[in-house]
Amino acid sequence: MSLQINANMKRRYAAERRFKAYAITALALAGAFLVFFFADIISKGLPALQQAEILVDVHYSETSMKSYKKAVDKPYRNIVSRGYLRTLPLYMEDHPELMGTTEERWAVADSDVDQYLKGKPHRLKAKYQKQIDALQAEGKVQLGFNVGFFTNGDSKMPELAGIKSAVIGSIYVLLLTIAFALPIGVMTAVYLEEFAPDNRLTQTIEVNINNLAAIPSILFGLLGLAIFINFFGAPRSSALAGGLTLALMTLPIIIITTRASLKAVPDSIREAAFGLGASRWQSTWHHVLPLAMPGILTGSIIGLAQAMGETAPLLIVGMMAYVPDAPGSILEAATVLPAQIYTWAGESIRAYEERTAAAILVLLSVLLSLNGLAVYMRKQFERRW
Amino acid sequence: MKTPKISIHDLKLWYGESEALHGIDVEFAENQVTALIGPSGCGKSTLLRCLNRMNDRISGCRIEGEILLDGDDIYAPEVDVVQLRTHVGMVFQKPNPFPKSIYENVAYAPRIHGLADKGSDMDEVVETALRRASIWNEVKDKLNTPGTSLSGGQQQRLCIARTIAVKPNVILMDEPCSALDPIATAKIEELIDELKGEFTIIMVTHSMQQAARISDQTAFFYMGDLIEFGETGKIFTQPAKQQTEDYITGRFG
Repeated sequence: MSLQINANMKRRYAAERRFKAYAITALALAGAFLVFFFADIISKGLPALQQAEILVDVHYSETSMKSYKKAVDKPYRNIVSRGYLRTLPLYMEDHPELMGTTEERWAVADSDVDQYLKGKPHRLKAKYQKQIDALQAEGKVQLGFNVGFFTNGDSKMPELAGIKSAVIGSIYVLLLTIAFALPIGVMTAVYLEEFAPDNRLTQTIEVNINNLAAIPSILFGLLGLAIFINFFGAPRSSALAGGLTLALMTLPIIIITTRASLKAVPDSIREAAFGLGASRWQSTWHHVLPLAMPGILTGSIIGLAQAMGETAPLLIVGMMAYVPDAPGSILEAATVLPAQIYTWAGESIRAYEERTAAAILVLLSVLLSLNGLAVYMRKQFERRW
Repeated sequence: MKTPKISIHDLKLWYGESEALHGIDVEFAENQVTALIGPSGCGKSTLLRCLNRMNDRISGCRIEGEILLDGDDIYAPEVDVVQLRTHVGMVFQKPNPFPKSIYENVAYAPRIHGLADKGSDMDEVVETALRRASIWNEVKDKLNTPGTSLSGGQQQRLCIARTIAVKPNVILMDEPCSALDPIATAKIEELIDELKGEFTIIMVTHSMQQAARISDQTAFFYMGDLIEFGETGKIFTQPAKQQTEDYITGRFG
């Protein structure tokens, strides 16, 4: 009898060990994927933080005002970024006192020079390669910190392309999403949880809200297009249209997490308030909501982080756009970070690759900080009762 | 018997389809302690929660009959529940202080009802309530610490302080000592004894000894019926009904 149990025990322990091994393997695999993903993105994205620059004499004159290429001496005209040269007339207009002078400046190099210096595939002709090598020996070529990546908008010339307009667009969209989704979502949840009677109507509403949270996000894009752009006439591609669309998408998530947080507040708190003669609203506003707040904020931040990384619905409302200048208002054409990443990833010029990866790094760090904030808030506001 | 504070006439109550109270007739005397006893599910807590209309919160709960507080029907359509609850306070089974400071716990109700202004006026209300609940000496130096940091017995006395800060006429207590140890229980019982001069106290209890010790009147419920009601001394020494005797001697329930 006891021997039989011992035999069984052996098998049970073996099964236990096997199960543990499976779990560890799964975890290790997931970890490996994550490490691989981050290593790949970081190794690809970090070079974008540097940009090749060439020390050249810039001539501020009437001639270069008319023909921007003439601002630099002939041998440099093909290795300095054309886009950079184009900005010089504007610069001269802003600084008329420079007229007639010559200044030695670090000029943004062409993207092929940049890729050549970084040892990546490039299309730089042999004679220019020699010229760059010679300049490098003189110390007239350098890889400087890529300020332009953060201060420029999108550009058809990769050496000038930056994330500024996408970041500003993302901020507008996120603020609009918060402004619409948070109050409406929280109030809806408060009504359903604290005020509404439990009948067939509210049950139907509840089921439908849960279903909404599972709807593919692109459908929200179609809804946004139909309602906000076609019906209400919000400008296409605008942060307003995008923010409202994402607010629609985030609403169910906020409602569900808010209801869960309200449910988690013990009923004894409500009874205590009611027992003292507090009205329903006072009980909710003074006691239940403050206790549910950490949960509500955590859920909302996670919902907003999701909205921030969302691309599909914005595609439909026209935010997958080429936006070189940062939008000045919520009604102007805007794009968002994930859309910018998508646009760059589709470019044929190789130099966009590292910018794509760098933009992904920026987006990921923002999302990770948002989630970190959610965790921090949960820890910070956790209360016992 | 003194003048009745609360009179209940033919009170019937349903939770959905099931009838929980089958026509209760009883009168609770002013400034006395009435104990409601009986086995679990007999309807005593249900009856208690009718008295400040806490049952309104339960969907599917329906009542018939009348409950008169000082002669006025508390279920009349023109009665404001919020106002009713300022006259009929309640202390719950599990101490449930708000997760706020001790001061805030007591000051909350006077503030929302506009009974005292902020500042020294409110300080006085808070101190009086805490003194009346015999907890002032224990908490006077830490009024800003959370009410939830107190011990169970202290929390319950804080809840009593919070209730009497509204100056109700009636205090309902739903097994106020069932979550407390004997020492804390003794303190609460002492407190109830002190308070009864000023308030009409109706309490549900599962402890026969407690009912015998502190109540003036006792009502025995069984299966939604009021079996026997009378002077506590009489109920516990020479009950009129066999069921009552069986219950208080521990033969069933």
